[in-house]
Amino acid sequence: MQRYLAQRLIAFIPTLFGISIVIFIVMRLLPGDAINAMVGTSFKLTDAQIAALRAYFGFDKPLYEQYWIWLTAALRGDFGFSVRSGIPVLPEILARFPLTFELAILAMLIATTIGIPIGILAAVKRDSTIDLAGRLFALIGLALPNFWMGTLIILVLSVAFGVLPTSGDYTDFVQDPVTNLKQLFFPALTLGFAFSASVMRTTRSSMLEELRQDYTRTARGKGLKEQAVIVGHCLKNALIPIITIIGLETGYLFGGAIIVEEVFALPGIGRYLLTGIAQRDYAVVQGTVIFIAFNFVLINLIADLAYAFVNPRIRYD
Amino acid sequence: MKRTALLVLVWVVAALIIVACATPTPETVVQTKVVEQTRVVEATKIVEQTNVVEKVVTATPPPTPAPKRGGTLIAARAADATGIDPHKQTAFASFRMLELIYDPLFAFDKDLKIVPNLAESWKFSEDAKTLTVTLRKNVKFHSGNPMTSEDVKFSFERILDEKTGAAARSTFAGIDKMDTPDPYTIVFNLKAPNAAILSAMTNPNSAIIDKKAVTGGADPAKVDVGTGAFMIDKWDPDRTFTMKANKDFWLPGLPRLDAIEWRTIPDESSILAGLRAKTLDWAFINDPRVAIRAGAGGSTLNISRAPALAYHVLQLNAKRPMFTDVRVRQAIACAIDRQEVLDTASLGEGEVTGPATPPFYRANLNDLFCYKKDVDKAKQLLADAKVTNLKFKIMAATGEPPTAVAEAQNIQAQLKKIGIETEIETLELGVYVDRWLKADFDAVVALNGGNPDPDVMFYRYWHSTGNLNNVANYSSPEIDKLLEQGRAVADPEKRKPIYIEIQKKLTEAAPWVWLYVGYEYRVGQPYVKGFTPLPNGSLIYLRDAWLDK
Amino acid sequence: MFSVAKATQGQVVKSNQSKTLVRFLRYRSSQIGLALVLIYVIVALFASILAPYSPIEQHAKDRLQEPNANYWLGTDEFGRDLLSRLMHGATNSLRIAIISVALACLVGSALGMMAGYIGGLFDNAMMRVMDLFFAFPAILLALTIVAALGPGAINTILAIAVVYTPIFARVARAPVLSLKTTEFVQAAQAIGARHPHILLRHILPNALAPIIVQITLALSWAMLTEAGLSFLGLGTIPPAPSWGSMLSESRKMMEIAPWMAIFPGLAIMLGVLGFNLLGDGLRDALDPRLRS
Repeated sequence: MQRYLAQRLIAFIPTLFGISIVIFIVMRLLPGDAINAMVGTSFKLTDAQIAALRAYFGFDKPLYEQYWIWLTAALRGDFGFSVRSGIPVLPEILARFPLTFELAILAMLIATTIGIPIGILAAVKRDSTIDLAGRLFALIGLALPNFWMGTLIILVLSVAFGVLPTSGDYTDFVQDPVTNLKQLFFPALTLGFAFSASVMRTTRSSMLEELRQDYTRTARGKGLKEQAVIVGHCLKNALIPIITIIGLETGYLFGGAIIVEEVFALPGIGRYLLTGIAQRDYAVVQGTVIFIAFNFVLINLIADLAYAFVNPRIRYD
Repeated sequence: MKRTALLVLVWVVAALIIVACATPTPETVVQTKVVEQTRVVEATKIVEQTNVVEKVVTATPPPTPAPKRGGTLIAARAADATGIDPHKQTAFASFRMLELIYDPLFAFDKDLKIVPNLAESWKFSEDAKTLTVTLRKNVKFHSGNPMTSEDVKFSFERILDEKTGAAARSTFAGIDKMDTPDPYTIVFNLKAPNAAILSAMTNPNSAIIDKKAVTGGADPAKVDVGTGAFMIDKWDPDRTFTMKANKDFWLPGLPRLDAIEWRTIPDESSILAGLRAKTLDWAFINDPRVAIRAGAGGSTLNISRAPALAYHVLQLNAKRPMFTDVRVRQAIACAIDRQEVLDTASLGEGEVTGPATPPFYRANLNDLFCYKKDVDKAKQLLADAKVTNLKFKIMAATGEPPTAVAEAQNIQAQLKKIGIETEIETLELGVYVDRWLKADFDAVVALNGGNPDPDVMFYRYWHSTGNLNNVANYSSPEIDKLLEQGRAVADPEKRKPIYIEIQKKLTEAAPWVWLYVGYEYRVGQPYVKGFTPLPNGSLIYLRDAWLDK
Repeated sequence: MFSVAKATQGQVVKSNQSKTLVRFLRYRSSQIGLALVLIYVIVALFASILAPYSPIEQHAKDRLQEPNANYWLGTDEFGRDLLSRLMHGATNSLRIAIISVALACLVGSALGMMAGYIGGLFDNAMMRVMDLFFAFPAILLALTIVAALGPGAINTILAIAVVYTPIFARVARAPVLSLKTTEFVQAAQAIGARHPHILLRHILPNALAPIIVQITLALSWAMLTEAGLSFLGLGTIPPAPSWGSMLSESRKMMEIAPWMAIFPGLAIMLGVLGFNLLGDGLRDALDPRLRS
């Protein structure tokens, strides 16, 4: 188990390393310039001022040297600072991460509480009205673009009730849980809708698979109660693909919630990355990309480890 | 079942671990607490002075109910400051915050007339080459240090130092040297006459900063070294900017608020929602469409509209082959109905203007070239220039301003009617600015910053030596001469005809098609009182604001 | 369609293909999916004939009109006909989806099959490079690419293709690994057939099913992504109509002109739904074991 964990973590390093090199080079090959983006159209700097700024940020050094400086600092936990605001990148990322993290977790909770029960019911009562309704829900959930759903929620709330989920002024959960949940409920619902659709589908199909298995028949034959068969035997075995999909989708949300963050104007991590790219703010982009990739891979690792808890027959050695 | 419980446990633990690792350590800016001995100044004298000054500076008529004190104003706007070093900021969003924290020597009143701010009075020499400024004697920095002419000199030296990278360096490059004959007098010796220098000394780019604190190691990019009505309490970039009242502010009794809490809410629709839900007291809004909604259907919100100085413009690059012939540029100017651009892109929220946007210097639109759409004339001009199948690209930045792409689309549709084909190119702001500065475009829709002084607005673009003349890409000896004249005259009444003439010449040469100015919107709850909006968007009179609740 | 499926049900179906078709058509959901996709494709192909107005013509006097007899779905702030914009939006959306998926499918499948067939170091290196792409949420990767390259149809196509290439590589590689060791491939190798010939003639046909299923799913994802990118102002450049940018424009007008927010979203949803249903149906038909 520990060896497996170590292996996975080590395999992780070249990936992050590769990503950092790619993003480093790509950012610098792009048209557009951090300094000009910062200064804007209102003023024009002299060449000497631009050169001074460049030297200040180290942009005058050769690329490999810049990368080396960035890498060695990053390994010490220093991701540099934003050219535009002069603010260190890592604390900025960490300040935005709780929002994105909370959104992802809330969406996951919504998805599991809706998706798994409906999925089980749909599988057990196959082709019943519940099954059909569940499948319809899944189809719509997967096809409904989340940015449209968010827009519609805002439209309905504002036209019908004259209120809107206020956003932007995000309150920390620790500070004020009620306000926090009020602010995040609709964004999380928007994200959780499609998410629960895929959880429901996966649950349904993997439950159907298990219900068809011999051991299910045996268990039923032994006279076990239907409920015990379903929960004790089938669900237990059906959980692996469900966990995989939950892990994958939650991982996606750590960076992929960006559009919903945009719709509800939430200061999450995806938005930070996008502004960073638009402003050619190298350190911001590099730091955020590495951070998102790290989380994404980590969450998948956690999902893998969760298998072992669900199904002790899986051993990672 | 046990396994499932375990699984849930794994998730919770993982969540907790990650949350714990990610506990935010927001970079907050703490103002320096350099406690210095304060010189005792004669108390009676201060009172006398400030009484007089208050009458001049406070632009609002005294409100009928007696202003109440205290309370925190919860305010919002779409973009946060990009930094807090007053000399380095170029974004309007930064100005709006920093003008509350830093004071320049001068300010504008509601008619954009220059009034003294940290200065008590000023005098220009006959030849407009020497500016003598007398300073107020009761001004203290937030550190407690008194402000003297040494601080003023230090501030301008810092602006002029190339290493600072100050935004207004070139504006003040005309300062030859500064003398400080006594602690409350500073003399600016200019290389050439420049009456417009006063209006350049009215924004945070020319803020007076605390010499003692800065030479002692305080970095203005990180800490507050100002004299303003408010002090930085806590800055959590892109989220909240909290300011508390400066109890030692040089105007006694002001500010009236205890604190202002600024929230950054990038989507203005959400700002409106916050105002409706009464979680916000006050906000400034740029998007006209949001402002229209704010006033719709029995709204109790107070909405004030003030024509802005920043102007929407279609810039043509006169150095590009298709635009070298003045008749082609004129044809484009004649083909565009400016009101229609305003109606579609900004839903009519604004005013069509000529090149100069400060109210006093605005030209009568009927005197300007082709300010009434004239399709026949446009077609004739194109025919005279023997141009057929004209094609060019219009560059626009995404979301900057929010109306840019809509303007480009409407202009495109209008030009099509005289047979001109255009293609819209939308770019990220970073790339857009890059190409804009290099004049690497055929045409561009832009929102350019205005200024209360027409010299500041025009010189940098239209004088052949202006620092943005290579962006404008047009100049003429005639306009050069007029601009130099305008600069050397101090009396506004004598300056006005010069700038009207310049506007006529510019619209006739049509290097740009000036379109319109939008409004600056201030939307607030009815209980927010006492604030005077300025056409340049300045918020300095928030120091007079109070909460009637 | 349904009756055809019923009629053939009882007969002995000879060829594999027709069996698959029958299985596919038997499901009502596949039929709905096919119908939606067909409508979408027809509207996209014939938008210029079907649309009542030009999608970019501005009727200055008819700005922000509610749905009415002249403008069935209303007009936007420029007085452009929403229905015509929606129809041309289908063309735009389909064009981008098809080109990007074709690119991803060609490049990805070729790389994946080669990696699986050649194996060894090449396979390893290729899969590690693909892993870099999987370490990043797909939508964010697409967004990053377009934000970096700048908006526009070509960059949007590139972004979607780049994101989907590794997925096709993975899908194409798996069957090759198992097919490589089958008798008929080894027999072909033994008689000296050239590798490209073996890959195209013997392996590809047998690996085609999962790739086809992936294509329909990729098309639906590409549609959604194009709309999402345009929604953020990064995809299609105005005035060309895109469902995503129409939706984005509508947000500022929501309370004044709610119709602007409703129809483009509905169009996206139905299009995506069509491709999803089609994909599900194809998967069930092509691989009965996965039927659920």
